[in-house]
Amino acid sequence: MASAKDLRVLGDREVVALAKAGREAAYRELLRRYERPVFSLIYRMVRDRALAEDLAQETFVKVLNALESYRPEYKFSSWIFKIANNAAIDQLRRPRLDTLSLDGAPHARTPDEVEATALQAADHAESPLEELESRELGAAIERAIGRLRPEYRTAILLRHVEGRPYEEIADVMDLPLGTVKTYIHRARLELRDILAGLRT
Amino acid sequence: MTNQQLDPGDLDADVLRALSALPGFAPSPSFADRVMARVSLPRPAAVVLAQRAALWLSRPRRVAALAAAYGFSLLVVLSVAVPWIGAHSWLLDTAAADALAHARLWLDGAVVSLAAWAVRSGLGGALRFVGAAGPALWAGVAAASLAYAAGGWGLHRLLKAPAPAVRRDADVAR
Repeated sequence: MASAKDLRVLGDREVVALAKAGREAAYRELLRRYERPVFSLIYRMVRDRALAEDLAQETFVKVLNALESYRPEYKFSSWIFKIANNAAIDQLRRPRLDTLSLDGAPHARTPDEVEATALQAADHAESPLEELESRELGAAIERAIGRLRPEYRTAILLRHVEGRPYEEIADVMDLPLGTVKTYIHRARLELRDILAGLRT
Repeated sequence: MTNQQLDPGDLDADVLRALSALPGFAPSPSFADRVMARVSLPRPAAVVLAQRAALWLSRPRRVAALAAAYGFSLLVVLSVAVPWIGAHSWLLDTAAADALAHARLWLDGAVVSLAAWAVRSGLGGALRFVGAAGPALWAGVAAASLAYAAGGWGLHRLLKAPAPAVRRDADVAR
C-alpha cells in the first residue's frame, strides 16, 4: 500500500484511482496538490479571502464527492480548475458584488483588518530597492488583474500564474483554442496599458 | 516618463515577469480538514457488510424480535398453504391445462394455436374438468398473492435496517 510520501510521485490519474478505492491519503494528496492553485485562482477572481475560501471548499467537496464520475481521459487539473472557475464566475455574476480593493476588503474597519484582507505581492527581490520595485510591480499587477474582464482574468491567471497549457485553459473555459489565445493576448495588452498608465 | 518614452517590449517583459512572480495563496491551515469532513469516502463492500452486521449485532433484542416475526409469518403462511394444497392437489395438477384454456380465450395467433394443439394432444378432458373449478382456483391464487404482498410489505417495514447513531462530522466541523 502506497504511503503518503509514495503518493507524491504518482500522477493525478493514479492518485484518483487510489482515492476511488477508498484511500483517504489519496484524497488528502489531491487536496495538497491543488489547494493552493485552486484557492489562488478563486482568490484573484473574487478578491475576498473568506469568500474565496468558501468557494474553494465547495469546489473540493464537489470534486472529491464526484470522483466516481471522473473520466480518466480528461485531465484532473482541467476538471478541478473548471469547477473552481465556474464557482468564481457564478459569484462574480451575482447582482451585488462584494469586491475587495487591493488595499483591503470594503468591510475592513481597523488597520489590522485592512492589512489582513489586502492582497500581498510576492517578495522575490534581491536588494532593498529591487524588493521595493518588485513589491510595487506585484501590487500594481494584482490591481491591474482585478480590473480585467473575468474571462480575461481566468485566462491570464491560468496561463501565466498557474502555467497551464493553452489546450487545458480552453478545456477549463469551454472555449475554442483560438479564443483563449485571443483572450490572453488582449489581457496582456490591457495589463501593459494599465501598467504604462501607472508609470507615467 | 511618458507613454511615448516607455518601450512596449519592456512593458511586455515587465508584465510577464510580474505575472510569473505572483505568489500562490494558501487557504487557512484547517482547510483540508474542513473539506475532508464533508467528503464521503467510498468503502469496500466487505467493510459495508461488516459494519451492517456489527450494527445488527449491537441490537440483539431487535434481531430476536425480527427473527420471531419472520418465523411466525412463515408458520402462518405454511399453516394455511400446506393444508390447502393437500386438499386441492387436483387443482395443481390441472393448473397448466387451465392456463392453456384462458390463453385460448385471451391470446390470438400462435398462443391460440398452441392451446389448440394442447387440446388436440389429449389435454381436452382435463380442460373440461377445470372449466368448473377455474373460478375457485383463480380466486385462491389472487388471495394468496395479496397475502404474500401484504406479508412482504410487513416484513420490509420490520426489517428496515436501524439508522446508525453517528454524529455528522460535517456539522461538527462547521
